[in-house]
Amino acid sequence: MNGLKKFLKAREAGSIIFLILLFFIVGCMNPAFLKPASLLACLNDSVVFTLLAAGIAFVILTGEIDVSIGATLGMSAAIAATILRDGGNWGIALVAALITGALIGLVNGWGVSVMNIPSLIFTLGVNGVVRGMIYVFTKGAWVENLPGEFTKLANVMLVGQLTVFYVIAIVIVLICNYITKKTKRGRYFTAVGDNISGAALVGIPTTKTKILAYVLCGVFASLAGMAYTSRIGFVTPIAGNGYEMKAIAACVLGGVALTGGQGSLFGAAIGAIIMSSISRILIFMGFSSDYDNTITGVMLIVIVVVTTVMQNREIVRNHHDMLLARTNKEEVKKEVAEA
Amino acid sequence: MSQKAESEKLLVVKDIKKQFGLNVVLKGIDLSVASGEVLALVGGNGAGKSTLMKIIMGIYQPDYGEVYIGGDRITSFKPIVSLEKGIYMVPQEPMLFPNMTVEENILIGFKESHASLDERLRKIMADIGWNLDLTRKALSLTIAEQQIVELLRGLMRNARLLILDEPTSSLTFDEVLSLFKVIKGLKEKGIGIIYITHRLSEVFVIGTHVAIMRDGHITLQGPIADFNRDMLVKGLLPDNMQDIEKEDVAYEKVDYEGKKPVLTLDHFSGYGFKDVSFDVYPGEILGLAGLVGAGRTELATTIFGREKPLGGKVFLNGQDVTGLSTRKIIDAGINYVPEDRHLNGLFGMDSVAANTTSSFLHNRAMGNAFLDRKKEYEITEKYIKDFRTKVTGQDQEAGSLSGGNQQKIVISRCLATNPKVVILDEPTRGIDAAARGDVYSIILELKKQGVAIILISSDMEEIVELSDRAVVMYQGYKKDEFKKEEITQPALMNASFNITEKEA
Repeated sequence: MNGLKKFLKAREAGSIIFLILLFFIVGCMNPAFLKPASLLACLNDSVVFTLLAAGIAFVILTGEIDVSIGATLGMSAAIAATILRDGGNWGIALVAALITGALIGLVNGWGVSVMNIPSLIFTLGVNGVVRGMIYVFTKGAWVENLPGEFTKLANVMLVGQLTVFYVIAIVIVLICNYITKKTKRGRYFTAVGDNISGAALVGIPTTKTKILAYVLCGVFASLAGMAYTSRIGFVTPIAGNGYEMKAIAACVLGGVALTGGQGSLFGAAIGAIIMSSISRILIFMGFSSDYDNTITGVMLIVIVVVTTVMQNREIVRNHHDMLLARTNKEEVKKEVAEA
Repeated sequence: MSQKAESEKLLVVKDIKKQFGLNVVLKGIDLSVASGEVLALVGGNGAGKSTLMKIIMGIYQPDYGEVYIGGDRITSFKPIVSLEKGIYMVPQEPMLFPNMTVEENILIGFKESHASLDERLRKIMADIGWNLDLTRKALSLTIAEQQIVELLRGLMRNARLLILDEPTSSLTFDEVLSLFKVIKGLKEKGIGIIYITHRLSEVFVIGTHVAIMRDGHITLQGPIADFNRDMLVKGLLPDNMQDIEKEDVAYEKVDYEGKKPVLTLDHFSGYGFKDVSFDVYPGEILGLAGLVGAGRTELATTIFGREKPLGGKVFLNGQDVTGLSTRKIIDAGINYVPEDRHLNGLFGMDSVAANTTSSFLHNRAMGNAFLDRKKEYEITEKYIKDFRTKVTGQDQEAGSLSGGNQQKIVISRCLATNPKVVILDEPTRGIDAAARGDVYSIILELKKQGVAIILISSDMEEIVELSDRAVVMYQGYKKDEFKKEEITQPALMNASFNITEKEA
């Protein structure tokens, strides 16, 4: 009972309930959607967005944003795929991808945190630069003919019918979720997003925390790039284009507040399942999946508008309550009456 | 010898200078605090108190001078260094994490284990006798409770020097008393305290030492016993202030004979104030005094249609204007000049002209669909001239003006609507003495033109000098009303603190 109450109070509860309701409604309209194979596909297909959303959640928790993750994914994927195509070891490809992601994250973190440039603008610029570098690096061509062992990895099942990538992604997300929620240093991310000047006053290294958030975000995007490469089997210069919106929408759906300081990586992962299921849901409901991006955008806007309105109401209500408490104090009434 | 004495001090600040751009904020500050001392630091807005505190906290680096904490010279100015050396500042507006619980707020930033932290926290709370639900979210706390959380944070860090920045500015009287009790307890434990305040009455209650800051200098400091109230006031005033005042305030007695009130509040209630009734007459200045949090700004913004009224009536020339929208209130003839120019009043990036005319853009006189540029120019030119506003031209960005000139723009904007009643909320806060004189003459000029002025001010001297009548609010209620000859600083102060004649 207590556990249930605690669950309902958590910010993630709404997302989980939304996910269940959504699947239930789609299932009512087309029962085939609820077949185990279809549900498992929803999970397995969400691996790229799970990693992207969890990564960007670090940044959003600190109150910033990163719109360069689509390009980061593309760049890491292009580099890793080129190494693999040219006969390189997959371990080297992974390390190269991770370094790419970390470096891009470092640049973002420097610009936003050290140079104090608005994060939307700075990461938008980085997005353009990195996307351009993909074209330079690949000379505008697709990176194809990847070794079969690597592309087959995407279909290797680890736990039941869950792919090895999804299991790895979920394990990483849960570990990071625990770190950000329960460890002292992990709490720094939310603290910085909640009240940055307050964080500085209690000795939290705010600049370093933000840089670290961007580096982690880049690393997660490069992991997503690896999963993407293995699943798709080739990398085009536009790989990952526009994925940042879906990742941000996934975070918002999962209860991560865009104002920072609230939410969790776990919530972001739940949001990612919803986001990546949209195109599948559209197909099961008999619509064209062309609506995918539009629906994602609409959901993002609706949720942000609703939460902002609710938040503002809450602020006004708290303020009014405080003011009313002042004039309603019995001792004050008495004092004034006596005097 | 003196070396030894200094090493016993918790904090020694020597000849600190700091400037931002062309603005010299600190012009050589010397200060020291020893264990068990409460240094009351008094100074007006812009005196440089908060800059000095930020240097001590390691947030700013001084341009010149030395800081010693516990005898060690500080070479690297970082918050973490000051914290480790036992300095903790409770900011005026507590900097909590609104979405975390009280406990998380207190315990964040520590390296030791959770269990030992928890034990220490409970011990400290028991020691001082505070009871606070640790599981509440910080956003549900009152300001007083938030300050207690901040104090606990400092004590958990074994702070030896606490800096309290105007801690009572938003507290109720009871809360002030209990805070003073806490401060006395801390003092006995040998903790040094820098107590920043605007209120001279508090200095003698709580301080062991006093320092007065004005315009980047310390004008006087020493043990509290060496000073009396008048000496402190002298330290706060610019050397030539006396002359300016005499020149500026030429009081003209208001003739109430046969006059009808222009504005009447009848048992008016809203968020933050209750059951307030008073009249305002044309051509008078009604001073509205009280402590911060007495509900004066809330009263003004509710009259102005920014908040929903909860009861009672407002009449303008006998016409009911209760709960009208701000646009209609302005058209009816009431205008309000807010306290915080940056937050509420000024479009900083916009030109002086655009700022001046912005409040009546919907007026037909300004052109139909398109703005009549010529009209805008004429009106702006008139107000710039009338108010002696120092601008390079009408197209200057309002944000680049000095505080006093910004205030003139905001006031001139509201006058451009030809109001019958003007509510000025802290019109001279944070502006220099010369601009203050200009603002006073604007107010007196308005009075001459027959406009009714409600002057909200926390500066009691200002109320005494300018007001024809004064209303004092306390905790949201109207506490007292004074006629011109009854308005004195002690009378206003007593009413603000709800002290009845007998007690005082």
